This record gives sequence, C-alpha cells and structure tokens, in this order.
Amino acid sequence: MNLAARRPLMLLLATAALAMAGAVWIARGELAERRAAFETDARIAHRLLSQRAAQHDAILSTLALLQPGQPGGGAEAAPEQRLPALYPQVRQVLRRDRGGDWPGPHGAALRAAEAASRAARRAVLAATDLAHGTYTMVLAADPASYALQIDLDALVPATEWPLPRDGAVRVALVLDGQLPSGERVWAPGRLDGRGWRFDFSKHLAAESQPFDLQLATRVGWGALPWGWMAAWVAAVAATGVALIAWQRQQADSRRTHELLRLGQVGRLNALGELAAGMAHELNQPLTAVLANTQAAARLLADEPPDLEPARGAMAQAVQQARRASEVVGRLRRAVERPELGAQLQPLRLDAVLRQALDLVEPDCRRLGVAPSLQCEPATLTVQGEPVALEQIVHNLLTNALHALEGVPAAQRRLALDASAADGAGVLAVRDSGPGIAPDALPHVFEPFFSTRAGGLGLGLSLCETLAAGMGGALTAHNVAPRGAEFRLSLPLAAA
Amino acid sequence: MTMTASSSPLIHLIDDDAAVRDSLALLISTVGLRVQTWADPLAFATAFDRESIGAIVMDVRMPGIGGLALLDRLVGEGVDQPIVMLTGHGTVDLCRRAFKSGAAEFLEKPVDDELLLETLQNAVRAHVRSRQRHTADRQARERFARLSEREREVLALIVGGLTNKEIGRALGLSPRTVETHRANLFDKLEAATLARVIRQYAELAEAGLP
Repeated sequence: MNLAARRPLMLLLATAALAMAGAVWIARGELAERRAAFETDARIAHRLLSQRAAQHDAILSTLALLQPGQPGGGAEAAPEQRLPALYPQVRQVLRRDRGGDWPGPHGAALRAAEAASRAARRAVLAATDLAHGTYTMVLAADPASYALQIDLDALVPATEWPLPRDGAVRVALVLDGQLPSGERVWAPGRLDGRGWRFDFSKHLAAESQPFDLQLATRVGWGALPWGWMAAWVAAVAATGVALIAWQRQQADSRRTHELLRLGQVGRLNALGELAAGMAHELNQPLTAVLANTQAAARLLADEPPDLEPARGAMAQAVQQARRASEVVGRLRRAVERPELGAQLQPLRLDAVLRQALDLVEPDCRRLGVAPSLQCEPATLTVQGEPVALEQIVHNLLTNALHALEGVPAAQRRLALDASAADGAGVLAVRDSGPGIAPDALPHVFEPFFSTRAGGLGLGLSLCETLAAGMGGALTAHNVAPRGAEFRLSLPLAAA
Repeated sequence: MTMTASSSPLIHLIDDDAAVRDSLALLISTVGLRVQTWADPLAFATAFDRESIGAIVMDVRMPGIGGLALLDRLVGEGVDQPIVMLTGHGTVDLCRRAFKSGAAEFLEKPVDDELLLETLQNAVRAHVRSRQRHTADRQARERFARLSEREREVLALIVGGLTNKEIGRALGLSPRTVETHRANLFDKLEAATLARVIRQYAELAEAGLP
C-alpha cells in the first residue's frame, strides 16, 4: 500500500532525472562536435602556415644556391626582385654581396642574423616586427647572402583560410623564446562571458621560423542546442505524465474491481446476518411453542391428568405462535423493496449489457468463454430502473456461466441477444450448458429453489420480482440442441 | 412448577427470553427435575449454587455476555456441572467451539422434548457420578495422609505386587514387621481387601514415593 502510494513520486523523480540526463547528453554532444570542428580548423591553419614557412626556407635556399643578380652573372639584373610578384607574402628580397652591406635601415640586425645563420647553417630570423605584421629572415651564403621580408598578413590568402571570418576565434602567431618576442593577433576573437573555452597551440613545422600558432574560442551557453534539449525534456515529460496517468488508471480499475467484489461479499454477509437474525427471532417463539405443547402433552398424559398447568401451557403456545407470525410479518416489512415504478427511466440496453459483461469478464476468461453480444437496433432503449436491470442481467450471466462449468470447454457458448418485439425490448441470455431439468423448470423462479449445492435459491426469484416491478417479465426455456435461455422483456422507452 | 426435595438435582436454565425460559422450565419439571431460571447470564454466573447437583442449560445468543464467553468463564472457574448449550442458528463452527470449550451437549432450537429431557437426565447422572468419584477421591486422600512414612513405602511395594518377604528384603525389615505395617495401613485406609487398597490407592501410593 505504502509502496503503491510512493510509486507516482518515484516515477516523477525518475522522469526528471531522465530529462536532465538526456539534456546534458545532448549538450555534451554538441560541445564535442564544436570542439572537433575547432580542432580540425586549427590543424588546417597550422598546416597551411607550416607549408608557407617551409616555402620561405625553400626560396632562400634556392636564392643562395643560384646566386641570381650577381654582377655579370646574366643578362637580367636582380631577377630575385620578381619574387614578390609570385609570392604575395614576400614583401621584399634583400641581398648583400660580398664586401657590400645590407641595404635599408636594419643593416645591423641583418648583419647579426647573417652571422648567426652562418653559424647555424640555416636561415634565421632578423628584424622581426610582429606588431606591424612583418618579419625578415636571413640566409648566409657565398658570394651573396639573401634576406626575405615577409608580410605576415598575406601569409595565407583569405580564400584558403579555414577559420570563419566572424571573429569568434582568436588567432595569434606568437614568437616564442626569441628576442624580441611578440605576437601578431589576426583576430581578437570573442573570449569573454560564460561558457566553454577551446584552446589550440602548436609550433610551426619550420626551424627557421619559431612561431606558435595559438587559437582560442569560447562557446557560450547560447550556442547549446536549446531547441533539441527542450524537445527531449518535453518528450520525456509527456511520457512520464502518460505513465503516471496510466498507472493511476490501473489503480482506479483495480479499486473498482475490489469495490465490486467487496460489494458482493458485503451482500452475502448482510444476507447471512439477516438469516441468523431471522433464525433467532423465529426460533425463540418456536422453541416456546414446542416446549409448551410437549409439556402440555406430558401433563395430560399423567394419571390423573394435570389439567391446569396444561391449559396454561397451551395458552402460552398460542401466544408464542402469534409472536412467530408477527416476526415474519415484521421481517417482510423490513426487507420490502421500495416500488420500482417511480424510478423508471430510459436505459440503453447495449450499454447495460456491455457493463454487465465487463463485470463477469474474469469468469469468462477463466472458463474460456467468449460471450457474443447482439443488440438490434443498436439504440434499443427500454424503460427500467438501472440498478434492478443491472442486477437481473448480472444474475442471468452468473447463472449461465455456472451452467457452462458443466460442459467441456470447447462447447461453452454464451449469447446475449437484444431485440424489439411487440412494443417490448427482449433480452435473451442463452447458454450451451446442460439446460434446466424438466421437473425443475416450473420451479426456477420460486424462492429458495436451487439446483446448485449451496445455492440460496433467491437469485432468480429476485430477478423475476424485479422484472415484474419494472412492468416486464422474465421467462425460462430450454433450447435445442442443449442449453437454457432466459428471456427478459421490458417495455420500450417512448421515443 | 413441581418442586421436589432440595437434595434432588437442580437444572439452571439461562435464557433472556421469558417465554422460552418458562416453557422449557415447565417441560423440564414434568420429569421431576427442579429448575431454577435466570434471565441475566451475569447474575447467574455470580449467584448460582455451585455445590448443587444437576446441570446448566443456556442459550448461545444472550445479551451482556455471549453464551460461549459465559461457558469459557464457568469452565475456567472450575464449575463441574455439565453445561448444555442451546442455539437458534447452529453452525458447525459454533458447535465445534462449544465442545472445545467444554460444553457437555449442543442442541438446536426448537428442541424436541425427548432429546432435551434425555440429555438433561444423562447430564445429571454424569454429574452425580462425577461428584461421587470426587468425594471418594477426597476421602482416599485424607486417609492416605494418615499413613506414616514407612507405611507409605510398604504400600507402594504392595501396589508394586511384592510379597511380605520381598518387601522386608527391599526395606531391610523382618517379614513380621512388614506384616505389622501392613495390618496398620489396612486399618488406617479402612480397606478390607487387597484389591480395594490397590484400586483406591495405587495412584496415590506411586505419587507419594520420593
């Protein structure tokens, strides 16, 4: 009982937990997807930048090897100056011939870098100015050394850049561990507010250009798939509500059946109580009648007969017999049913029959009987009292089911046919049981007549009285090839 | 109502219904039994003469205290009169409970005169016998109490079927002494024959052994 009462609450909690868990799972899925997309973009950006850096190394190496623009080296002077046209990010190519000096304002820085390059035997950075988006790299060679001034902002053409241009991602190139250090921020991104931050940082794959590509972005609460989450919660809530409603309905139906059963038990108890009371009330005067008359007989048999007390005993016996008769009269008045005539109302027979069948459904299932119900016309409406009619139909069905217990399961049939005939609605309840014995047939409606062991013999008697009280009639027949049919006719309700 | 001498058996009749009470009392009195009627079961339980010889007749269904409860109470208090239950609506269950509680008989109302009277006469006879047995038992106990320790030992061995010689050996006495004890205890028990001593005192003698 207690558990049953707690069940809806537990269901409610379970529903809430399931809704929450599902929503969190959806949110996590979305976040994971976004993180994966961010990292993919970041790796593409890193690869592009690394390729560019490698390209710069390759250009410098090629220049160092071919030594173009040497005095007297060819028809064309300084063909390396055409490189900026080929590579948008190459802003300028510088050259220092042997014995000469670096052109431009950063001569000292370039000289130092050249020395470092010569020592490292690879290109090194010189005169980086990340704040202005430029850096220079130098490769020492003979007879001429070369330097490339790179425009950071033109490193990757906009069309190839994988990151969205909406500025949500902070993109920065950071010169790490070198002096002067610095960074070039391409996009400031939107990193404020609440939410989840994704970070990416990777060294460019070029020894000569020790840059870190650093990406960061933030996914705010607003980016969560609220629509889907709400849909999920709604779906779970709807299911939970449906479950609770279903459970409640189950409980209601159980309770209804329980009440019905209790009602039947209660009626039986009341009947037993009535019988016990009646027995006591009647047995007292009967005991006195018997004792008085028998005492009188004994007194009269004495020699000589003891007349005076015998007379008194007989007078007592008469009085007690009257008392018994009064008890019977009182009982009858006490259990007399109120007139049904005043409570008659139109009743749809099909509804009454369906409800009655519903009540005996467990018995039908137990016996393996599938009752057939025919109501012609479907709207057949009779004049009756609902409780009385229900009682009659229930009794007839119960009797029919009892009769069916006596035949093999395969031969059990139960048919309810309702039709209109001669201004009356006629309900026939027909079973394929053993039928009614011919000598019992005239007595089936008599009170206390029962063919059933332990039967009170009041059911059919009551049914007939109720039917008559509603201005109808109840009859019994046997049908061919076997079985009994009870016909209840009730006046049709005025249309 | 026919009354006989006060020592004749007395039937206590308890029923709350005056007509039943009077008619049954009349019927019972026709066979010469005295009847005392009671309308109130509780008044009966506190006031009736417990020493009287006879029987008790009562209805199962009575106001105040039910017949079965009254039955339990009387039996519990050691009332030895046979109790006959009457009922207007006897069920097997009720009947079983009544017998289990110690009812002598269980009759259904209305009850036929022969059945009721025969039942009561049997009950009265049984009660008389039981009282006689009871009296005899009490007297036997009193006599037994007069025996000395040694005499009780001798009696126990007599009941055990030993001869004087054997008793003497068992108790370390001479047969002559045993013979003296034997004569004394027969005297004290007011018994003439060995058979009578054994019948009346076997149980006491065995229970009296350490």
